[in-house]
Amino acid sequence: MSSLSGLKEYIKEILTGSKSLLIGMGITLKRLFVPIVTVQYPRRKLTMTPNFRGHIEAIYFDDTKSHHCIACGLCMRTCPSHVIKVQGEKEKAGERKYGRKYYIDFTKCSLCGLCVDVCPEKTLTFSHEYELACISRWDGVIDIMKRLEERP
Amino acid sequence: MLNIKTIDDTTINERVYQLNLGPQHPSTHGVLHLLMKLDGEVVVEAEPIVGYSHRGHEKMAENRIWEQFLPNTSRIDYLSGLIYNHGYCMAVEKLCGIEVPERAEYIRVITSELNRISSHLLGIMAFVMDIGAFTPFLYGWDDREHVLDLLERVAGSRLTYCYNRFGGVRNDIDREFCDGTRRFIDRLRGRFSDYHNLITENIIFIKRTRGIGIITEDTALDFGVTGPTLRGSGVGYDVRKNEPYSVYPEFDFEIPVRKEGDVMARYQVRMAEMEQSMNIIEQALDGLPQGPIRSKVPLFIDPPAGDCYFAFESARGAVGYYIVSDGTRIPYRIKVRTPSFSNLFVLTRILPGNFIADCIATLGSIDVVVPEIDR
Amino acid sequence: MNITQLPIIKEIYGFLGRDLTAAVTGILIILVFVPLNSAFLVWLERKVAGHIQLRPGPMEVGPHGILQTLIDAVKLMGKEMITPKLADKFLFWLAPIIIIIPAIVCFVVIPFSPMMQVREMNVGILLIFSFSSLTVLSILMGGWASNNKYALIGAVRAVAQNVAYEIPLLLSTMSIIIMTNSFKMSEITAAQSGVWFIFYQPVAAIIFFISTTAETNRAPFDLVEAESELVSGFHTEYTGMRFALFFLAEYTNMFIAASMGAVLFFGGWHGPFFPGLIWFMVKVYILIFVIIWVRWTFPRLRFDQLMNFAWKFMIPAALLNLMVTAVLLKVL
Repeated sequence: MSSLSGLKEYIKEILTGSKSLLIGMGITLKRLFVPIVTVQYPRRKLTMTPNFRGHIEAIYFDDTKSHHCIACGLCMRTCPSHVIKVQGEKEKAGERKYGRKYYIDFTKCSLCGLCVDVCPEKTLTFSHEYELACISRWDGVIDIMKRLEERP
Repeated sequence: MLNIKTIDDTTINERVYQLNLGPQHPSTHGVLHLLMKLDGEVVVEAEPIVGYSHRGHEKMAENRIWEQFLPNTSRIDYLSGLIYNHGYCMAVEKLCGIEVPERAEYIRVITSELNRISSHLLGIMAFVMDIGAFTPFLYGWDDREHVLDLLERVAGSRLTYCYNRFGGVRNDIDREFCDGTRRFIDRLRGRFSDYHNLITENIIFIKRTRGIGIITEDTALDFGVTGPTLRGSGVGYDVRKNEPYSVYPEFDFEIPVRKEGDVMARYQVRMAEMEQSMNIIEQALDGLPQGPIRSKVPLFIDPPAGDCYFAFESARGAVGYYIVSDGTRIPYRIKVRTPSFSNLFVLTRILPGNFIADCIATLGSIDVVVPEIDR
Repeated sequence: MNITQLPIIKEIYGFLGRDLTAAVTGILIILVFVPLNSAFLVWLERKVAGHIQLRPGPMEVGPHGILQTLIDAVKLMGKEMITPKLADKFLFWLAPIIIIIPAIVCFVVIPFSPMMQVREMNVGILLIFSFSSLTVLSILMGGWASNNKYALIGAVRAVAQNVAYEIPLLLSTMSIIIMTNSFKMSEITAAQSGVWFIFYQPVAAIIFFISTTAETNRAPFDLVEAESELVSGFHTEYTGMRFALFFLAEYTNMFIAASMGAVLFFGGWHGPFFPGLIWFMVKVYILIFVIIWVRWTFPRLRFDQLMNFAWKFMIPAALLNLMVTAVLLKVL
């Protein structure tokens, strides 16, 4: 008797199992006709959200026709990877310094955004660039002042 | 030459041979190395060998100011980076006594739970892929993509967020994020039936997971197992419920527990946890208060001398930050208790006697993140 | 169209004799068809898998990536063929050669259309069975010679699996052969001009389908390769063109299995309006599509479950089916 009920259960398991397999196949078949979700990258590109964190760059201000960097060096000090180099100079003795050179070694940057947070003049922001492949490690060193001059 | 000889050669008889599963193996999710003694296909002894991706995060913390450790926290466990971020900020805030605005705490909880969903989706689907079904993996990634898009909108980054700051968060969330999150929750709820039909009720999946890799309650407690792995073994311990932190006490959610302790139970706990996370997010979005997102904190914080331990629940279990300050801007010591480490070593107890295929399933169900083991 | 009616072929017939010419022409056609067909199948598999997984699959080389496999083959030809230091060099070299032979030989008896069959044999089905069993020998050789533990486990699994699943495969085919009283592929096809055998023998068809999936080591029975467990199984150590030969054989075996299924259960070349060749190919490709579809849906079985399934369910069911068929046809 017990073996008979065992057989019954066995057959029942096979039937429910086959049903579950068919349901699974139905799901994948349905997906076969759903439009694809991926983006064919070089042909179509996504726009980044406003908050996207690329490498940093200086903001252009209309009042000074340039950036507001005062070369205080806070970004340099707060950077966990020590990739920022800022150098400033004074036009005349006694005046405030302004940033003259600003380099970031993007190859070692961890994109934490601490430098942007800490900037007292709020002159740093993130670029939305993500196509950053380069052939030399020196291509990863970004001259931010030069980028600012070359911007449209 | 790296010469690892941990299993005594004299104990190996003629039937038993050694197999190095990893460090380069498709289903060890990174560089985990399991040294196994096999008899045919049956495991006689398994020994995890860790340390291949040791990056010295704890030592790094001693060489930098408190803020500079923030990017490191997302990289300890790269799948639940935001939760680690959140925990580190809360630990430091506890040490310094910094008040966090309520809105910031709500945002932290919303983003952390979104991160938990993305981590669980990846964990479950990678586990299903280990069992051999490749397609559910990509369906899971399709959903995970939406979480990452949401998190990118608010945090600016998709994997290593570095979004929380001491005393608050970096960016405020906007209307579009809230709507997008609600849409995502509706979408994911709709996808659950497909997942259940495709995976949970599939007879092959049931046969591969039920009664396999059983971690009993005692074993789990002996090894200090936490997270979904512990809750799959019948212990309803979740730091969010048992030692509430942040604004979790204000939300109504359950801790899913399964008694069986097998691979299937851990899978079911993760599935149920995603639903609970969605509940939390919905409640948080409903009750989102207005206000500032960051309290006034100095540019570089100076915690008082002293130490504190702060525990929180990541996607893989209880994480603890033990931070010691000597009153300077540089931490004296930061110790991270990571769940994957203790979860991993339960394998030495449960793997012997199983087939290789079951080992892979068990390893996948524990859902370890290898860099988190080594830190 | 009957190839043998062409005048040039007739002239060659006169010179060489009918049989030899037919055989040589046929073999040449097969040698061209096998790699091209495999290339197409690999592309089809990647395309179907892609669309099932909500992505487009290969898109770059040629329209919708149709030339992708050819480019891959060129790449594989350019690769270095590495032999592990401690491998058994001769067997390691021999295994990929042996695996391709049965794949090609089995094509000889497949009836593509009433006229398109390289060689009519009165033991056609047996020839396919006996030659496809050679595949496992090559897998064992490759796995053993690699001197790699993953490869060895894969090879051992392959032997046990193929031995177990050949029995239900044969038994389910036997119930068809009882019905037609012939081992000839063309006669079996001819017997289905009215009703396809799948309607007489649904159980046998299911068993046949499952067994061939296991025989060709396709998911969910791909324990021999089992990527997540055994890295790549028996061909872990194979590189370059040797690996490509294993790959070629896998897809060719799939085609042979599907064409056997079409001949045994789906009426081979029979069908209205279109010539037999088109019907045959359509049926074969639909069956291949199902095999691919199954692969991208299900998880993999465990080894002992696989064996239990073969010995405890498939073989009894196939035997029962055979017995019922025999009693119905011969006794009653």
